[in-house]
Amino acid sequence: MADKGGATPATYSPSPTTGRKKPPLLKEDWIRPDGRGFHQCRPALLDMHRFLSDSKCSRIDGALLIGGSAKRHLGPVSTRITSGVHGSVQPDIDFFRTGAVNAASGSAYAEIGNTKVIVSVFGPRESKKAMIYSDIGRLNCNVSFTTFATPVRGQGSDHKEYSTMLHKALEGAIILETFPKTTVDVFALVLESSGSHTSRCLGFGKRSQLEIMLCEALLLIDSMFLCNVPLQEVIASDNISECVSGDLPVVISCASLALADAGIMMYDLVASVSVSCFSKNLVIDPILEEENCQDGSLMITCMPSRYEITQLTVTGEWSTPKINEGMQLCLDACAKLAKIMRSCLKEAASDSQE
Amino acid sequence: MGGLSLGEKHFIQGGIAQDLRCDGRKRLAYRPIYVETGVIPQANGSARVRMGATDVIASVKAELGKPSLLQPDKGKVSIYIDCSSTAEPAFEGRGGDELATELSVALQRCLLGGKSGAGAGIDLSSLIVVEGKICWDLYIDGLVVSSDGNLLDALGASIKAALSNTGIPRVQVAAGTANDEQPEVDVSDEEFLQFDTSGVPVIVTLTKVGRHYIVDATSEEESQMSSAVSISVNRQGHICGITKRGGAALDPSIILDMISVAKHVSEQVINKLDSEIASAEAQEES
Repeated sequence: MADKGGATPATYSPSPTTGRKKPPLLKEDWIRPDGRGFHQCRPALLDMHRFLSDSKCSRIDGALLIGGSAKRHLGPVSTRITSGVHGSVQPDIDFFRTGAVNAASGSAYAEIGNTKVIVSVFGPRESKKAMIYSDIGRLNCNVSFTTFATPVRGQGSDHKEYSTMLHKALEGAIILETFPKTTVDVFALVLESSGSHTSRCLGFGKRSQLEIMLCEALLLIDSMFLCNVPLQEVIASDNISECVSGDLPVVISCASLALADAGIMMYDLVASVSVSCFSKNLVIDPILEEENCQDGSLMITCMPSRYEITQLTVTGEWSTPKINEGMQLCLDACAKLAKIMRSCLKEAASDSQE
Repeated sequence: MGGLSLGEKHFIQGGIAQDLRCDGRKRLAYRPIYVETGVIPQANGSARVRMGATDVIASVKAELGKPSLLQPDKGKVSIYIDCSSTAEPAFEGRGGDELATELSVALQRCLLGGKSGAGAGIDLSSLIVVEGKICWDLYIDGLVVSSDGNLLDALGASIKAALSNTGIPRVQVAAGTANDEQPEVDVSDEEFLQFDTSGVPVIVTLTKVGRHYIVDATSEEESQMSSAVSISVNRQGHICGITKRGGAALDPSIILDMISVAKHVSEQVINKLDSEIASAEAQEES
């Protein structure tokens, strides 16, 4: 653009905004939409079992899933662990058992808050002929969403970004040398994405209080009421690449559990937790409406027993002390999550022996 | 890169361990950066950045669009990277897609900041023309012309240079349109407004080879890496994004150490890049 040299190099300054003010800073007595403490994770439910031929597996009722409610029992409840990672009052969440993947070498189901994920692991199987020889094993990861995982009916397609993230998070933990020339497939399916229900409830109840803290989520509702725009359109118009990153930690943790169930050799279980940053506050394990107004987010996947980080992503603006604090918070939570995962594995193992 | 012999691998690793790399650099030294601006006349802004044999082009195109309903007071920015097969035969067809997506995601994470806009290199609210009706959509396209390692840092630098080269036409909004109508606009082709790019962070990638880490790795050095951490730092020394590549796990203390090293290195890179951009702009005008 050589011709613009003649113009005065004015700075492209923000146009004066009319009406909408910047949301006020979060107050000290801020309450999270689901009533958790800042440093408290959502309650975790993990299930993992070998799909033995004699196991009493029940089918997932499609209608139930489309309704998105897990408030009913379906089939016998198997290993069931309900515990918040920071261990305080837990709402009792019902839980059902999947039998959809009889053929898998290992599988796991996790339910953390509203996020529900199934991961099945296949293999090790022979790598495709076209692949060049490799003396270490290959890991093939795929994350997909069901069409009913999100409030708006989605495409149900594969999620490329999550798939690569899952791959990167796991490959450092798996001892690939133990299955040369072969491939292990890790397929994750997100049945329900987090925050999809609570966002609807926001319009009612403690709105005045919520107004202070949930700028964006309320803007969404406001805009729906004022402009009569259907929810579908509101969300469809938003950037497609924006997805709930609160799901990814659940997918990763669940996948490592499924790998352990399949008997794939690993250095350690992989646990993953994210934190959101809101001006001065750090909030662990954020849900959708919190993510929509966060200043930054940090996700860590780590091997707690070895105290090593396999994957780390940070967005937004962070000062160094803040990053320190966030990382420490995540690592502590990961250690506690791993404990829950470990006890889930133990319980499943003792169940199958009986 | 599979074409390295055992001896060459040892040579690279040994050199890094002794703080003397194959091209004579120290571990924390960058290759010289060359910046050219205004290389694509069709775009609103463009830049070409070369670091050794790595050669990338970034272009910025601005189009008028409609803001999203969720954020009526913000414009939109998207970053896409294309890995041309001229750079490497492996990029032919769909071969470059995986790398291209990885780079695009990393750049979006490092340059566009959090959801609320904190730490963003580009102030999205400055892209608004009429709130809720018209905004500028910025399309940032990166092209990898030649690849010799450290693509992310080079692309980050080229986007920064392209943004400072970008002129957005001044827009006159016709007054007196009813509230629910799309207002008429008059896009000026003479007057341009420039971006304030002082907030755009630079990306510093630290590649871990053996027990040490290096900046600005060449592709030979990258083939020996166990993992790499890309940290974007702005002028204030704040971290604007981190991505990790490579499978090997890292100790948390090493990551914190990398962050402080990246902050230190970024100061020099920002100054170097700014002076290169300024001289490139001066050259273009003369």
